Amino acid sequence: MRGSLGTPVSRRTLMRGSALGAAAAAGAGALSACAPSAGGSDGGKKTLTIMAPENEFSPEFLKSAEKELGMTIKRVEVDTTKLTAMLASGTAPDLVRGLGAVETSYIVSRDLALPLDDYFAKSELLKEDDIDPINDVWRYDGSVQGQGPRYGLAKDYSQDAMFWYNTALFDAAGVAHPSDAEPVTYDEWLEMGRQLTQKDGDTTTVYGLSAGGLGLFISLTNMTASAGGSLLSDDLGTIDFSSPEAQKALTWYLEYARAKVGFSPVEPNPDGWDWPPYQTGRLAQSWSGYWFGGAIAAEAALAETSRLAPAPTMGGERVSPCFGATGYWIPKASKNHDEAWQLFEWFMGGDPAKERAAGGWGMPSLLSLRADLPVGTPAQEQALAAVEAEADYFKVLSFTPYVKVEALDAVLNQYLPDAINEGVSAGALADTLNNDMQALLDEGKELVK
Amino acid sequence: MTATLTASRETPPGTARPRRGKRGRAGTRPRTFYLFVGPWIAGFVLLTLFPLGYAFWMSLTNTDGLSPHWSYVGMDNYVRVFQDGQTLASLGRTGIFMLATVPTGVAAGLLMAVMLNRDFKGRALFRALFYLPAVVPGVAAALTFKIIFDKNAGAANAAIGAVGGEPISWLADPWVRSVLILMMLWGVGGSMIVSLAALQDVPKELLEAARVDGAGPVYSFFKITLPILSPIIFFQVVTGVIGSLQVFVPSLLLAPVNGAAAVTAVPEGNYFFMVHVYAEYFAKSHFGYASALLWVLFLFVLLITGIVFKIGNRAVFYGGVDPSERKEG
Repeated sequence: MRGSLGTPVSRRTLMRGSALGAAAAAGAGALSACAPSAGGSDGGKKTLTIMAPENEFSPEFLKSAEKELGMTIKRVEVDTTKLTAMLASGTAPDLVRGLGAVETSYIVSRDLALPLDDYFAKSELLKEDDIDPINDVWRYDGSVQGQGPRYGLAKDYSQDAMFWYNTALFDAAGVAHPSDAEPVTYDEWLEMGRQLTQKDGDTTTVYGLSAGGLGLFISLTNMTASAGGSLLSDDLGTIDFSSPEAQKALTWYLEYARAKVGFSPVEPNPDGWDWPPYQTGRLAQSWSGYWFGGAIAAEAALAETSRLAPAPTMGGERVSPCFGATGYWIPKASKNHDEAWQLFEWFMGGDPAKERAAGGWGMPSLLSLRADLPVGTPAQEQALAAVEAEADYFKVLSFTPYVKVEALDAVLNQYLPDAINEGVSAGALADTLNNDMQALLDEGKELVK
Repeated sequence: MTATLTASRETPPGTARPRRGKRGRAGTRPRTFYLFVGPWIAGFVLLTLFPLGYAFWMSLTNTDGLSPHWSYVGMDNYVRVFQDGQTLASLGRTGIFMLATVPTGVAAGLLMAVMLNRDFKGRALFRALFYLPAVVPGVAAALTFKIIFDKNAGAANAAIGAVGGEPISWLADPWVRSVLILMMLWGVGGSMIVSLAALQDVPKELLEAARVDGAGPVYSFFKITLPILSPIIFFQVVTGVIGSLQVFVPSLLLAPVNGAAAVTAVPEGNYFFMVHVYAEYFAKSHFGYASALLWVLFLFVLLITGIVFKIGNRAVFYGGVDPSERKEG
């Protein structure tokens, strides 16, 4: 190619140049993977790339973290698409946000997550005897969740099968408050929901109970466990909605949705989550854990009348699991394991962890930080006592490594509306769910060897 | 000098070939041209051809995008496309949505443009008001529609209640698709502005001559205005068809769950083909199958666009020439 100004360039030369340009652009991404870190270095400082939401790593917080740790931190938004692309292109982020309860086995079985036991063993901030047992959801030994190496830690957590209720709406409806110590049964809970639901003609002014939880599949998993059964087989490779315990759970959910006492696929919540209706007195009971108290605390009047109750039971063993345990993990493909751990350790056990605990948006992952939890309002004081009493009933509910929880939720959302509206029996629904979900699990098995 | 003039007159404008040589303006033209189109070609290769090829490769595998244990499955994913009831149903739903929104949207935009092309007081204000919804961000529009169509507190059910009707669960099946169609039509100002611009180009002398010959406004509209507008209408139909076949975000915004999980909770009525593709990719991690779905959609869009062009060739007056005469010519 003659580069002097004013000389013609042939089509072939141009195409070659374009291709080279394209290759250079593509290569830039690949080459960056060969650099010491995903983001390179900044005047001798390592650059970490983290996949985190802005409300956890705000620009101001990032600056303080950079100052504290002596590194440069680049934040990218939490996005499955982006994570997949970054992992595929060899530019893995150094720290990734995830839901320990439902993602640990999935990421470990795909060899994506770095085992952190060696780091934990050396840590001064995150000591084994100080780590809340709930963090076992971030452990997986290849067949059982809750055992084996730790792959992450919750930034905070809640026992998500507990529920918040508004005493003012209970009093207005003349319904007795649930006990702080003894759980209600699911049938009693639904009956309370019916009594608390207020209508003005055909319009619902107050919903008695929202049982959407943090997702349909994990809610049904929890209910089945509470009835003494399990949706997944011991090897996590087979699903069964036909067992008596699972049938009990499905039947209850269908009855709840048909009663229209709360939100469901046929009674959608236009706000997308429970807080707006709860905040405005249009929802009497929300199936949300301790974290919901963080929002309640900001509303003085609501904080006076809100209380946290134990997880309902379905007749079997009393269980109170955690569905989320939202936290962070370090990809194996990260080029900066040590620096990523440094940030991880500081975020989970340093000053940020103390500040989070004081905010009351979740239980801290370290037992020593419980003293920092807020007790300034009646709701906070009561919620803390309720959670401490509930801790004995925590149980890890193993989630399958073969499929993401969203896939199973998609199947439920596909069939539930017709099942609810057309009076389909729990047995018939179970057959359909078993068929479609098992197909997804079987496909997943092909990819986990 | 005379010869040069004659030669240049014989050469139609824009068709003169540049003089070959190392020096002079003519010699730099191809270079300049390629320098301008080079970035586009690079972008086309990187952002269109490469992803297309990559997606085709993925469509021949069972990859989930993360596991290293994927394998080739040949054409299995393509066979599955035509055996998957959910895929075929979502494709049918998308076709119905296209038939419902494209003609209605184009016709409504044209009707509004014709009304606002007349002389009346406050015309500029109405033009601005009708166009305004088209510039409101989709997220804000969706939230507004969710509030209006909320079962318990929405204005729609309040109006129905005022005349003694029962509240409707608008955001659930089977009504949610009507809300989506209304939301799409709410932004019809975009189509209106394009048609309005085209109406300004209709020669007034033609309409005047028709009026002198005794033609009424309706006759003039169908025999003069509409044929002249036909290329613009055709453009709107083609872009509308392609856009409606790929409708995705509005469905998610009307779903009862916020955020990325919304794709798993889109009511059946709004579960269109692209929603299905997204769910297969990122909820079910079927990267191979979802890539096959995208290739099928690509071919389907090509086919539909081809059909639209075929029909358009018989109906569009390019340069004011009657398509039947063009065909004969």
